[in-house]
Amino acid sequence: MSDNELQRQWAAELATLARSGRISRRDVIRKASVFGLSVPLVASLLAACGSDGEASSATDGGTTPAAGTNALGGTTAPEGTAAPSAGGKGGILTVGALTPSTEVDPVTGFDGAAIAIFQLTHEYLIWLNPDFTLRPQLAESWTPDDNGQLWTVALRQGVTFSDGTPLDAETVKASFDRLLSPDSESAALSAFKGVLEAGGVTAKDASTVVFQLARPYADFPYLISANTYNAVILPKDYTAPYADHAIGTGPFVLDSYSATDGAKFSRNETYWDTGKPGLDGVEIKFYKDAQAQVLGLQSGEVDTQVTSQIALLTPIESNPDFTIDQVSGTGVTVFTLRVDQPPFDKKNIRQAIATALDRNAINDTLSNGKATLGNDHLLAPAYPASPTDIPQRDIDLDKVKELLAGEQVSFSLTFEPPTKDYAVIIQEQLKQAGITVELDQRTSDDFYAGDQAVDTPWLFTPANLVGWAGRAVPTQFIIPMVKTGAVWNGSKYANPALDAAADAYDATTDEAEKKKQAEIIATALNDHTPIIITNWSASVRPFNSSKWTGIAAHPSSFVDFNDVAPA
Amino acid sequence: MGRLLARRIGGLAITLALTSMVVFAMTSVIPGDVARRILGREASQEAVNAKQAELGLDRPLIEQYRSWLSGFVRGDWGTSFTKGESVRSLVLTHLAHSLTLGLIAFAVLVPVALGLGLLAGLRNGTRTDRTITVLSLCGTATPEFVSGVLLLIVFSVRLDWLPSSARDEYGFRGLVLPVICLVIVCVGYVTRMVRASVIATLDRPYIRTARLKGITTRSLVRRHVLRNSLVVPITALGVQLRYLIGGLIAVEFLFNFAGIGSLLLEAAQEKDVPTLQAATLVTGVVIMLTFMLTDSVYMWLDPRVRVGAET
Repeated sequence: MSDNELQRQWAAELATLARSGRISRRDVIRKASVFGLSVPLVASLLAACGSDGEASSATDGGTTPAAGTNALGGTTAPEGTAAPSAGGKGGILTVGALTPSTEVDPVTGFDGAAIAIFQLTHEYLIWLNPDFTLRPQLAESWTPDDNGQLWTVALRQGVTFSDGTPLDAETVKASFDRLLSPDSESAALSAFKGVLEAGGVTAKDASTVVFQLARPYADFPYLISANTYNAVILPKDYTAPYADHAIGTGPFVLDSYSATDGAKFSRNETYWDTGKPGLDGVEIKFYKDAQAQVLGLQSGEVDTQVTSQIALLTPIESNPDFTIDQVSGTGVTVFTLRVDQPPFDKKNIRQAIATALDRNAINDTLSNGKATLGNDHLLAPAYPASPTDIPQRDIDLDKVKELLAGEQVSFSLTFEPPTKDYAVIIQEQLKQAGITVELDQRTSDDFYAGDQAVDTPWLFTPANLVGWAGRAVPTQFIIPMVKTGAVWNGSKYANPALDAAADAYDATTDEAEKKKQAEIIATALNDHTPIIITNWSASVRPFNSSKWTGIAAHPSSFVDFNDVAPA
Repeated sequence: MGRLLARRIGGLAITLALTSMVVFAMTSVIPGDVARRILGREASQEAVNAKQAELGLDRPLIEQYRSWLSGFVRGDWGTSFTKGESVRSLVLTHLAHSLTLGLIAFAVLVPVALGLGLLAGLRNGTRTDRTITVLSLCGTATPEFVSGVLLLIVFSVRLDWLPSSARDEYGFRGLVLPVICLVIVCVGYVTRMVRASVIATLDRPYIRTARLKGITTRSLVRRHVLRNSLVVPITALGVQLRYLIGGLIAVEFLFNFAGIGSLLLEAAQEKDVPTLQAATLVTGVVIMLTFMLTDSVYMWLDPRVRVGAET
């Protein structure tokens, strides 16, 4: 079957689902972007959805209508013809960021400021929109074979790096080979594990790259998108340090970088997307302290931030010069219980702890009420396949008493400084239920030190709190975190039924089947409670809206300033 | 005097050598793994092991220390594990920043504290004395991060007179708020020391004699009170100078000032051993020099100390 026939078949399936009302317009856009469907096909699918109650969700799923529209139009339409942003051009946008904790390097960088810096100079095959839809960046289209194990990516034509070198398939292959090499120091190696192995990427011709997967994976485009933040396309001969070799295809070029002060960028005059970026440049200013960063925003030293702590933004909320953009995200702090050790080897005790927590109070205290309630499974409400018929678990002290049946429970909760407030709330709330929690705070270095297969505290302590950045696909949480013997399975939970459901979820392109497998996973996790999830964090980005338009929050705090313009 | 100086320099060298050994040994027992920190928790264990080998962290501690020491004495201070920049450049740049801020703050602190202390001492028991004492103590009792945030909110956010950080691009304007913040923190202690010393000096027999001789108050203060009252506060000023150069961590974080204090803290937290070692030793040298400077001024002011040191 040819690629076009396959796409038409998927389009027909999506149209059937849309007409039957089984999926929303937003889901149509999302799936269409994953399958790389063309604009006319997507338009016909949306027409099939009709003007139902979800009519506006295609744009309000995120907070940026433009992003949703781009997801649609971008799958095949040449973006180089995009109209310039309204409201004027030029200017330097100043952005506050916490000083990166390590050297900035696209291959290994993992903190917010480092990622933002290389996202300004480099690009991915596919961009991840704030509403989790995909937008072509250096890829023009992507097409799987019949069972989703072989993906063909067509590259955008006419793209050059900022030094004039043209982008070609060999360059893309070299970028992925670098990440997939057994010697790779990149976290992307863990993300690709079990899906894409070394040698799995080939250059079919100058503008076509083929990815041969180790197993069928329907959501593979997410894996080569910005969702895997290290998967930027680098020159073939790229070597660290980044500041000396910041040659990319991105909208900006790096003018200067200082590990203590920040980075300055100017517009890439040879950028492929004609008319973009609207800005003359961007300046990222580093701050050593989050509070000082907010003061910098208030005083006008910076116009926006890369990452923001909701709890610190109260002074900004009432300021008419500022807008705080917000998106619901899939970032989460997981309260992990080791099911292979007392006292958490008993399901009733795990359930009692989960039932003793007041999730709304936690949300109010930690997130100013902006988070979404969790239900002790990994299918966040932001995921289309998230089940809605599992009763929401909430505080019920009578039920806790019944579950404990007079048993005295006490345990030590290990955590690192960023989750300290959450740990203290857990301790206080469980105390009301007669459960004693001893707090065991470690430094972040200590918390993550040690061998991940043997003794690292975040995977081997009886109970702990681990913060996770958002993932666009739920199995990117489920497979490494709760699958039997998985690399980051801190609870040591083992459930063959869940393992099979997770694999089946990844392999199928059928929405109904995905929902069915998601239900199996969520029900098992909610019932067995190896992990407790009280809230899914929202992501915010404050900006000076009296000066700028086009700045948006992103669930992973990624930056896309292509449409930013003076207000 | 020359022998005294040579003795001091010898002591400094021994102190620095011992310090470097202690710091190196301590970094080996601080929990954490710098390779894991550099690559992040989601990097594979194999990658972390490879990084440790790349940084030489898999070698015996003695060998690591020997390797570092031989590089350091040859002027090769290495590369920061976490920042990827030359340690020499990082440390010297941060030290230059700290010296600039510290010396400006000191230059403001000395006349302010001496003036207030002298006034309070001369007007002992009056409303002026009480006002100076209470206000300066309030300043000292307020932590730097509280007074700093208040200064930022008033002068930077509300009035928009001064920048909210002390980045290089703002030049001297950027240093105004950090300097005020530091002077507020330090002025109470020094003022009280000067005040107490002035009161004690005024009670001395030779002051009474001078007064009986009909000397004017201005001459009395200038010729007898001031010099004799400074001997004790010099120690307090020396302590403040060392704090102003190496201990400004809260102020550096709040005003985003790239000083040696925050560099030391970050290096310790990140187990960035080359940076931590170099910054510790350089700070040690500066502190020793301030000790020597304080002692020299002390000797100049009080001949008894000079005679004692020479004998």
